[in-house]
Amino acid sequence: MITVDSINDWFVQNFGALTLEQVKGWFIYNPEEKLLFNTGLFLGLFLVFYFVYAFLRKTFYLRLTYVILFSLFFYYKSSGIYFLLLLLSSVVDYGLSQIIYKEAIKSRKKIYLVISVILNLGLLGYFKYMNFMIVTYNDMFHGNFELHDVFLPVGISFYTFQSMSYIIEIYREEIKPTKNYIEYLFFVSFFPQLVAGPIVRAKDFLPQIYQKLNLTKADVNNALFLIIGGLIKKTVISNYISINFVDRVFDSPMSYTSFENLMASYGYAIQIYCDFSGYSDMAIGIALLLGFKLPANFRTPYKSVSITDFWRRWHISLSTWLKDFLYISIGGNREGTFAGFLFPSIFFFGLLLWGITNSAESIIPLVIAVGGIAVFCLSFLLSSKLKQTMVTNFNLFTTMLLGGLWHGAGAQFIIWGALHGLALAVHKIFVEFFPSQKDSKSNVLSVIWKFFSIVLTFHFVVFCWIFFRAKDFDTAIQVINNIGQLTFEPDHWQTIVLGYKNVFLLMLFGYVWHFLPEVVTAKMKLVFDKTPLIGKAIVLGFVYWIVYATAVAGSQPFIYFQF
Amino acid sequence: MNTKSYFFQSFAIVALAFVAFIGFKQVLPDKIFPESKVDTKNVLVDSMLLESFEKQSVSKKDSADADNQADEDIVYDSNEGIEFPSETFDNYKGYQYLISFYDKLYQLEKHPEAKVRIAYYGDSMTDGDLIVQDVRTNYQERFGGMGVGFVSITSESSASRASIKSLYSKNWKMQSYLNVKKPVSPFGVNGHVFFANDKSNSTWVSYEAGLNKFSTTLDNPTLFYGRSSRTGKVNFIVGKDTISKNLAPGNLVNTLKVTSKSIKGFKAKFVNADSIPIYGFNFDNGSGVHVDNFSQRGNSGMPISMFDASVMQGFNNSLKYDLVILHYGTNVLNYGTKNYSWYGKGMTKVVDKIKASFPGVSILIISTADKSTKYDMVMKTDSAVVPLMKAQKRYALDTQSGFVNLYTLMGGDGSMVKWVDESPARANKDYTHFNQRGAKAIGGLLYEQLNKGYEQYKALREKREADIKKGKTVRKTNTDSVSVIKDSVNE
Repeated sequence: MITVDSINDWFVQNFGALTLEQVKGWFIYNPEEKLLFNTGLFLGLFLVFYFVYAFLRKTFYLRLTYVILFSLFFYYKSSGIYFLLLLLSSVVDYGLSQIIYKEAIKSRKKIYLVISVILNLGLLGYFKYMNFMIVTYNDMFHGNFELHDVFLPVGISFYTFQSMSYIIEIYREEIKPTKNYIEYLFFVSFFPQLVAGPIVRAKDFLPQIYQKLNLTKADVNNALFLIIGGLIKKTVISNYISINFVDRVFDSPMSYTSFENLMASYGYAIQIYCDFSGYSDMAIGIALLLGFKLPANFRTPYKSVSITDFWRRWHISLSTWLKDFLYISIGGNREGTFAGFLFPSIFFFGLLLWGITNSAESIIPLVIAVGGIAVFCLSFLLSSKLKQTMVTNFNLFTTMLLGGLWHGAGAQFIIWGALHGLALAVHKIFVEFFPSQKDSKSNVLSVIWKFFSIVLTFHFVVFCWIFFRAKDFDTAIQVINNIGQLTFEPDHWQTIVLGYKNVFLLMLFGYVWHFLPEVVTAKMKLVFDKTPLIGKAIVLGFVYWIVYATAVAGSQPFIYFQF
Repeated sequence: MNTKSYFFQSFAIVALAFVAFIGFKQVLPDKIFPESKVDTKNVLVDSMLLESFEKQSVSKKDSADADNQADEDIVYDSNEGIEFPSETFDNYKGYQYLISFYDKLYQLEKHPEAKVRIAYYGDSMTDGDLIVQDVRTNYQERFGGMGVGFVSITSESSASRASIKSLYSKNWKMQSYLNVKKPVSPFGVNGHVFFANDKSNSTWVSYEAGLNKFSTTLDNPTLFYGRSSRTGKVNFIVGKDTISKNLAPGNLVNTLKVTSKSIKGFKAKFVNADSIPIYGFNFDNGSGVHVDNFSQRGNSGMPISMFDASVMQGFNNSLKYDLVILHYGTNVLNYGTKNYSWYGKGMTKVVDKIKASFPGVSILIISTADKSTKYDMVMKTDSAVVPLMKAQKRYALDTQSGFVNLYTLMGGDGSMVKWVDESPARANKDYTHFNQRGAKAIGGLLYEQLNKGYEQYKALREKREADIKKGKTVRKTNTDSVSVIKDSVNE
């Protein structure tokens, strides 16, 4: 007979005894346990939240307020007291956007816009870049400024950009402001995309608030398919290969063989894709479960045939944001502006300075510096439309430099951005000389060419990731040098692959999944859609289990190979 | 298309999935990705460690740490009138057993042309000269001395070593104490022996000074090689000059100086040196403190017991060691046991061998550092760390060696997690190895503890001197490790 006691016993057996302390832990900020989508706690909280949400689906302000409260709680669990910062910045931004909207005089509108941009970037600058600037200043001028003990509030880079999009779109009269603060706060704090994107644009999102809330079976199918894929990508592939292999090699590249360094670079490429796109997919899926459609953020980026193509497939919400609000603002492909020339000039000047100061030891830095500048200049000097291409390339380069810096405060992110900026410029001039024949039939040659383009683009991207991942510039150079010493020793490689069997299997799985033809993915989706409700639940439950079992898996003991 | 609201179905799926998860959790195994046994071919594993572990698993389980008594009192007998205060097992440091080393340091402080030499044996923790280079710098800063000490011919970790850069041809034949029981020729002081057997291609090694303070040049580079019935030749290429020299392998250990100058780098090419055991090069300026790094990945320390004492004495004649440090443990942690008496026994043999090889040398044991393992999703101190540390302390005490408890020194329980997670990090994501920054901190902590003992030694020594002046007779006790009774300093 089932009694309360027996239920209780079963519960204790499976979940452990519940203490008051634990329950408190669910609701109180703990910097060591962030509330990520792939945690059990989120699942539990979401289930409760979602149940009530379903009942509120026909209400409007009640539902918005309910979601806002959950979002704020969600943010509090990630950043503690800094949820107040989110509230404060939203109040200020909302106020300024109202003023801009009501202001009739163009020049005054602009002043308010500038104030708001300065405030937003100032906030971001203080929390994210203060210490980086201090360190850079101290290094360059032997200064002695003390570092600030700054906490980086989670997702500040994302929600700052999102609020800025709202204000700029109002300034550009692309959207109308929300009717009141609640609606605005709902947009800014919407928890699925709050801490790691996608960066939702006001003009895509706001209209959905006013629509009648609806959720179809197809929506749920899409959402679950995204969540399942996201969970596997993020928690199984990305987390496992990073802790058991990639992190170790990048921690101390010279302690590992050339082959391990190379594999760690490939490993990081699939790791960052799975991490980032996996989390995005979960965010999009969860938003969809609530009835909101967020735009896709990644479209199998390593299938890109060029670097330009790559940026249309990688972190799409960021690249379109940067295009619309940074690239266009500094002149786009129309005009050169001070800002557009300033940053590339500073960068190339710094590069040259680095080359000269190191020339006593090695000529290579100087060659790289001069080469980089030469390639950049050639990318517009060779063009038939010299002036326009120059302006475009400078603005593009600025966008990529600042876009690089957005990812993190560090010189290596600037280098990463610069490499991509340079590659975009080179690709543009290449296309000008060899325009792609769109109407050409696919023959053997074009297939080979496409294959070659994908391989080349992929390897360039992987090369750039080395800078992105390495903790500093020297480490990146160590990894690159080490890979440069790779020799063909298949039996050694085999030993290494067998030594890290799980890691390499997961990497292979990640890449095969990524490069699967779209037809296959579509088929899988079709089968999933046709699965009955209970079947879907079982599939999802199984994925939960995989996530759990990977999370408790011990880390692989380190291995040293003797060659 | 069905456009009916699907909220509750949606909720049902997520909720049912949760139920399914509970079900799966009951029937499916706890973990995926089991820690599979790695094929040991081509993987660095200490074969002696495997053997002695297997032997102990076959034999009955010893009664676990019955002799670990934290408050056990350790009282020292006076050594040349110096007697460190008594201590407990819990806080055991054993400075008393480092007196002969401290005495040599003291002499060096008085006479800067004197020498003190330390052999630092370790595992991957000290690879790339991590930790050791910081101990070396600390000593050289205070007591003088230049040079990185003895360096092997080839090493898996030479690429990661910044204190000296070395490159070598791929055709060296190497035998290591890690996995070879009966080498063709005895192992050198570094536990390796190298042969230049290739007749068609030249077998070479080159060294270039690194950028570390006190080792920006290679001072008195000297080749060490062993006995062979055949003779051979070596060409030293220094800058544009080539110096050709004959190898005369008559003694167990032979030396050959490249140059008496301080140079930036050189290359040694071995010609017809077939079957001559080559050991490595020594770099030191002839005075001050020199610290040799004998690190070997995968080592438990136990292979040292295979050393040939007479060969080691040959090395000791030229290098004259005053302190041998044994820094091991990392490779002994992953065997699912908490009873380390077998390891203590193995290491006792190691200490005995060291005493026979380097007569009168002081010995210092450094315990395992903290290491974390995942228990139910959380990284915590591995449950084997404390038992191993205690076993190391026990054998240190039993063999009359000094002891550094690196585990407590770095912060004790849970400290590795902190070292990995703090920003900037001081340890790597394998929750085992320190990075450059962490190694520097560890080197500093080790030096600090050793130096504390030295300062205490000096104070005790001054007290003794004062006592002598006052006319008191020094209580002379014959201790077992050091039998010198008369006061050599005040004669």
